[in-house]
Amino acid sequence: MTTFQISAFVFLGLALAATISFRLRRQASFRVAFAWALLWIGAAIAIAWPQITVRVAHFLGIARGADLVFYLAILGMFVGFFAVYVRFRRMESEMTRIVRELALRTPKEPDSE
Amino acid sequence: MTGVVKDTTFIVIPAFNEERAIGVVVAELKVLWPHLIVVDDGSHDATASVAQQSGATVLRHAVNRGQGAALQTGITHALRRGAQIVVTFDSDGQHRAEDVATLVAPIEEGRADVVLGSRFLGSTENMPALRGLLLHAATAFTRMTSGARVTDAHNGLRAFSRAAASRLEIRLDRMAHASEIVDQVAEHGARCVEVPVHVRYTDYSKRKGQTGLGAFRVLLDYLWGRWLR
Repeated sequence: MTTFQISAFVFLGLALAATISFRLRRQASFRVAFAWALLWIGAAIAIAWPQITVRVAHFLGIARGADLVFYLAILGMFVGFFAVYVRFRRMESEMTRIVRELALRTPKEPDSE
Repeated sequence: MTGVVKDTTFIVIPAFNEERAIGVVVAELKVLWPHLIVVDDGSHDATASVAQQSGATVLRHAVNRGQGAALQTGITHALRRGAQIVVTFDSDGQHRAEDVATLVAPIEEGRADVVLGSRFLGSTENMPALRGLLLHAATAFTRMTSGARVTDAHNGLRAFSRAAASRLEIRLDRMAHASEIVDQVAEHGARCVEVPVHVRYTDYSKRKGQTGLGAFRVLLDYLWGRWLR
C-alpha cells in the first residue's frame, strides 16, 4: 500500500465517520448523508483498486482512469454550484418576503397629516 | 377627474437613495393626488424622511431588495388601504405628475384594466441615443416573449385597476420585473392600453439608469424567472 493510499483512507474514513455522526445527530437529511457516504466509499474503492476506474473508463471510451475521475469531479462541481445557486435564489426571495412583511407592518404616515 | 377617483387612487413610488429628487416628485404629485406611497428600498440617505416630510406614506425595506420587490410591497399596501386604482411612478424625476391623470382615465372610464405609459408614443427629453436603442431592443424582446403589442416595455409609469393589481405577483426583485409585469398582464388576459407620456432625462436620472452591462444582467434574471415557472 502506498503512502498516498494510507493517507487517503485515513481522510476518507474520517469523512465517512463525520457524515454518519451528522446523520445520527439529525443534522443532515438521509438523502444528503447517503449521497456523501456514497461519494467517500466510491473514492475509497477507486483508490484501493485503481484498475476498476480504468475498466470503467475504457468502457466509456476514455483512455485513462484518472481522466474519468477528473471529468466526474468537474461535473460534480458544476452540479454543486447549480444546487447552491438554486438555494441562493430561494433564500433571496424568502428574504424579500421577510423584508416586505416588516415594511408593511410599520408604515410611516406623512408628516402633514 | 372626479373626487372619488382621487380618493381611491394610490401612487406607488419605489425609491433607492433618492433624497435629492424624491422631495420634488412627492410634492408635485401631492398637489393632485392625496395617496402617495413611497417604498424606501433600504436607502443609505434621507430618502424616507424627505418623502415623509413632503407628504407621502413611507414603507421602509430594512435592506435593499430591488425595484421589483419595492413595487410589490407598495402595491400590496395600496390594496390593503382599499385602492381602486394603483399607479406606479419613478422616484428620480423622469415622469411628469400631470401624466397620471392620462394614465388613470382609461381605467376610470372602464376601457382598460392596465394602462402602460409609453415614451415612444409620447415624447422624450434629452434621451441618450444608446438608451433609446436599448429600450427598443428590450421592447422587441418583451413583445416576442409576452405576445403583448407594447411600444415601451420598460416605463415605470403604469396604472392598474384593483382587480389587475390584485392578480399581479412580482417575483423578480430587481429590474427584470418590467418584462414580468407585461407577461403577467398578457397571461391574465387583462385589457391593456398604452397612453403617451413624457419622459425627461436629466444628468441625475441618467446616472441612475441601466447601462449595457446592467441590461444583460436584467435579461439573465428574466430568463431565470421564466424558467422557474
